[in-house]
Amino acid sequence: MNLNTKATAQNTYDAIVVGSGISGGWAAKELTEKGLKVLMLERGRNVEHIKDYTTAMKKPWEFEHRGRLTETQKESHPVQKRDYPYTEFNESFWVNDHDCPYTEVKRFDWYRGFHVGGKSLMWGRQSYRLGDLNFEDNLKDGHGVDWPIRYKDIAPWYDYVEKFAGISGSVDNFPSLPDGHYLPPMEMNCVEKSVKKRIEDHYKKSRIMTIGRVANLTVEHGGRGNCQYRNLCSRGCPFGAYFSTQSSTLPAAQATGNLTLRPFSLVNEIIYDKETQKAKGVRIIDSETNEHIEYYAKIVFVNGSTLGSTFLLLNSTSPEHPNGLGNASGELGHNLMDHHFRCGASGQAEGFDDKYTFGKRANGIYIPRYRNIGNDKRDYVRGFGYQGGASRGNWHAEVAELAFGGDVKDLMSTPGSWNMGLGGFGESLPYHENRVYIDKTKKDKWGQNVLAIDCEFKDNEAKMRVDMMNDAAEMLELAGIKDVKTYDNGSTPGMAIHEMGTARMGKDPKTSVLNKWNQMHEVKNVFVTDGSCMPSAACQNPSLTYMALTARACDFAVSELKKGNI
Amino acid sequence: MDRREAVKSVAFLIGGALSATTIATLFDSCNEPGKNSANLFTADQEKLITEIADIIIPTTAKSPGAKAANVGPFITMMVKDCYPEDAQKAFVKGLEDIETRSKKDFGKSFFEISVKEREQLIIKVKDETVAAQKTEKEELEKAGKSDKTDEKQTSPVKAAPMKDEKKTKPMFFAIARDLTLLGFFTSEIGATKAYEYVEIPGRYDGNMTMKPGQRVWS
Repeated sequence: MNLNTKATAQNTYDAIVVGSGISGGWAAKELTEKGLKVLMLERGRNVEHIKDYTTAMKKPWEFEHRGRLTETQKESHPVQKRDYPYTEFNESFWVNDHDCPYTEVKRFDWYRGFHVGGKSLMWGRQSYRLGDLNFEDNLKDGHGVDWPIRYKDIAPWYDYVEKFAGISGSVDNFPSLPDGHYLPPMEMNCVEKSVKKRIEDHYKKSRIMTIGRVANLTVEHGGRGNCQYRNLCSRGCPFGAYFSTQSSTLPAAQATGNLTLRPFSLVNEIIYDKETQKAKGVRIIDSETNEHIEYYAKIVFVNGSTLGSTFLLLNSTSPEHPNGLGNASGELGHNLMDHHFRCGASGQAEGFDDKYTFGKRANGIYIPRYRNIGNDKRDYVRGFGYQGGASRGNWHAEVAELAFGGDVKDLMSTPGSWNMGLGGFGESLPYHENRVYIDKTKKDKWGQNVLAIDCEFKDNEAKMRVDMMNDAAEMLELAGIKDVKTYDNGSTPGMAIHEMGTARMGKDPKTSVLNKWNQMHEVKNVFVTDGSCMPSAACQNPSLTYMALTARACDFAVSELKKGNI
Repeated sequence: MDRREAVKSVAFLIGGALSATTIATLFDSCNEPGKNSANLFTADQEKLITEIADIIIPTTAKSPGAKAANVGPFITMMVKDCYPEDAQKAFVKGLEDIETRSKKDFGKSFFEISVKEREQLIIKVKDETVAAQKTEKEELEKAGKSDKTDEKQTSPVKAAPMKDEKKTKPMFFAIARDLTLLGFFTSEIGATKAYEYVEIPGRYDGNMTMKPGQRVWS
């Protein structure tokens, strides 16, 4: 009895954070800085900042297969290999798909990394605010449920996280894309500047083109070095020049002395206490030893990635919560969204033959949403933004198909044509029937059931893609770009790695899982602040919003704790 | 039961929950590298690859070529490690054909003919490959129009192809040229002497004036 009490005390913290990616790192930082003793649980291995970025300083010729995958890697990573992210350059950051299978009722490409830092190590770093246009869309067109917050509720928290994370960008005063606190913007190249001017002149600034707002430091910031323009971010940055858990939130949390980080801790269940009607802790599976261990806390933050967190909640059943923790609404697992993309136009820029670029800018340009705003009404709702850029590689029109020889080599060694492209990122709607649920016919490596994913894009997305192609071509042509070609390379849910929405916030406990503070309506000491909380997807890259919502929820949670409300 | 059958049975056991694309992926993963990968090439064939690569990327006044950059051994390693069995077979067959044609056209092994003759031979192979790819593309486009790819796919947005979902037949010269270019321009010689390598640029200039003889950044 005595021993048990001692063990319980040893395993008891003020707060538990499930997951160590972008939002988990923020939760750990905020809660520890507010004085709480925090246990951060990460299902995968530890990755130490700089030391464990084993490929970051390798030269091109030091990669045996020069980035390509071996047949053995393709065999062990049948999902991860489907698109560009998984390569030899950072292969250790991606899961072995056989360890963690899932059921594709319809095809869904699920990219995952199990390690400290999660996808904060491999993310695209584009960091945009959502605005009232986005927070009001659900209410206005009736898709999904109304966001329980508006821009004014989150704006100070965007300020707060931007100042710490370090986002470079420019202030544009464009209505659909609120400005933030930015480090100096990266530079547009000469072709981009020309295209920007001609688009903005033509549309009288009802459409603008800005440099990507990106979580890469253009000047030293918070003890971290500035971007060295190598464009090798996804291997981990030895200069700490982009925001990741390792470069930013983890050191801050560790500096408080209040953080315990436990890797190899797969959280299998949140333990519900029917006496207090709260969570009393979590049960983990040690992912190395398979040992089951319980940890206890007053607050649980769930930050295991959209589908990881949703699985955990669905898997946390009790007589009081038979369909998953806090799922009386039945919405848990529903309304899955991802951006649809791989659709736009590109062409060649002429008149810049004597110009080239120096350095590799890990960033592009951004055209914020302009569709279905004001008097603009399309045959679909919502809209899209464009990412893109101009670059000059070794492509020469004169090099014929499969040509070879000394002249070809010499020509390919000189800068070729300038290419300028725009690729749309479109909002998808929160369809109730796009959902995940637990498939009890399969088990993962650790004996857990797996997720089944049933999600597809529909007519609204298909109609939007027509504009995504044609608008891109129109803007490039009026900007003087030649030989413009449109493309629609198809888009499968999951590929944008912006999955969202399966534990949505809302005003009404009957139709949503979380309240306006990311707090579970039914279990007041459980907070979910990763992508699963999103009532709509907007068309902007979402991670900055997860950061802001997390910091805001932590502030609320600690104040509630102090008041004795949770 | 072969692996293809085994996968089908597993799909059946779990109630057909696997989509057609997933099953296709699993089939795809059955294409493991050939069991005899280690002995895929004869010693002569390994030398032959080195010579062919040096025709594709020869030394010029401006920079060294494929032989100097050790591209031959890179290609044999890549074909062994990174290609499924059908592509490996097509590659070995392509090497055998080169020797056969050299003997037929010039009465000598590829090793014994002149650089000019080697170029003539490779140009022929290249032209045939371009023609074959064109025919194949046309056939795929024709077939694609009536093709029902995935009967469970009901979305009006078309699915993205998977990165290495190859519907095309592996062709010797296309693989040889691709690996020669990759191997050369990412080798230390190619990256620093044909291209120009700057390990840590430290800054970005989006409006740099080209200097005479400007090379591509590797």
